[in-house]
Amino acid sequence: MNRKIALIICFIFGVVMFLQYFSGHPVSRRINQAILEYWQIIFAFTLVVGIVGVMRTNIEKIGRGDDVFFRVVTLAGILIMPLLALVWGIRADTPFMWMFENVQAPMQATVFSLLAFFVASASFRGFRARSAQATVLLVSASIILLSRSALGGILADEIPQFAEWMRNYPSMSARRAILIGIGLGSITTSLRVILGIERTWLGGRQ
Amino acid sequence: MRRLQPRHWVFLGLLVVITVAMLLRVPLALRTSPETQRLYDYLNELPEGSVLLISFDHEASSLPEIRPIAEAILRHAFERDHKLIGLALLAEGTVIGYRLMEQVAAEYGRTYGEDYVYLGFKPQFIAAILSMGESIPVTFPVDYLGSPYTSLPLSVDIGSYADVAGVISITDGSLTTHWIEYAGARYNLRVLGGVTAAMVTTYDPYVSSGQMHAMIGGLRGAAEYEQLIRVSGGGLRGMLAQSASHIYILLLVLLGNIIYWREQRKAGKR
Repeated sequence: MNRKIALIICFIFGVVMFLQYFSGHPVSRRINQAILEYWQIIFAFTLVVGIVGVMRTNIEKIGRGDDVFFRVVTLAGILIMPLLALVWGIRADTPFMWMFENVQAPMQATVFSLLAFFVASASFRGFRARSAQATVLLVSASIILLSRSALGGILADEIPQFAEWMRNYPSMSARRAILIGIGLGSITTSLRVILGIERTWLGGRQ
Repeated sequence: MRRLQPRHWVFLGLLVVITVAMLLRVPLALRTSPETQRLYDYLNELPEGSVLLISFDHEASSLPEIRPIAEAILRHAFERDHKLIGLALLAEGTVIGYRLMEQVAAEYGRTYGEDYVYLGFKPQFIAAILSMGESIPVTFPVDYLGSPYTSLPLSVDIGSYADVAGVISITDGSLTTHWIEYAGARYNLRVLGGVTAAMVTTYDPYVSSGQMHAMIGGLRGAAEYEQLIRVSGGGLRGMLAQSASHIYILLLVLLGNIIYWREQRKAGKR
């Protein structure tokens, strides 16, 4: 019975949201706005599920003595940040934002910047012209790299032009094919969910 | 002491290349790409006082690349006297966007509430984008600083997308796609972007089809834009380091292949 109720709710909301897309009637607009507000509220509750999951996993592993220091730092972050937000708020010039700007942002930027070093090392060790396909990949990557630097246009006007051609034809045609495939797949899956054919989202037995 | 392995030398080499390039001041002349030119032309040709949404849809990790893009766009928009409404659809972009707008607005003597407004963060980006299409004041009843949306001189008359010229989504991921799919397709909002270099090919089909009007791509795009607005910013400063590191990587690829060919030849002789 519980599964049937969930399927009926899914069907009604699926059909309503589909139909209201094509309507500019004030009632339809109001329904749309109300549903969108509920959507945001429901999303906020999903965060609670995520936080509880992370905390439970880390507490269990601390109990077993796995990477205790790192897990304590994780839990401290999860507890301290909301505490700072609750006491002083989340606007600019609050302790919460100080932590974000001076701890989180530099750490994230540092980790992301390390990618440059890994790319350099991986290029040296792995980018080999082992076959015809690998050679095409290597030449294409080299031209794109050159075109994104200031040197590309200085060496030859043809380098940025060829890079643009690669982006506009081979790369874009592949991207378009993927995008159209994703679009058609999304429509099919949505219809299957709305009509109750696809039920894996309900969890448990089929 | 353990001996340094080849990869450590590669890391050290890159560190030296980037450090030296950052210290040098070499004027660069870059060829402007058509997408960057189109964004510049769009902002240039918009009537003065047009209202634009600027959405900071990025995380803190991409700040070194995102900041020059955002600064270049904000500088041009404020210089042209456009009115800006900032927001963030990823939590991490919230304070970054606010600080950037505050800093660039101060450079051009713009006033909060009259020339720009910052709405802050709204969770669940798809719902937020669709909701703003129906009503911005309902989606953001108060701005980032806590003032009621309808109390600010700039935003009081801005009810929905129908009242703005377009949105510029500054992103390091696929969030601009949602602006295109939900705000562009449904509410006919003009979508423009400032995206990281890694995301350029993702948005190429949208630019080509006209669903995305124009975009600035990566540090190179930011540097091209700075050239157009005649400002020396982070894009042009970082471009030399990026170019040097690209050439360094190309040399490493070449060296790696020479070693590989020599090994193959030796193996063939045996």
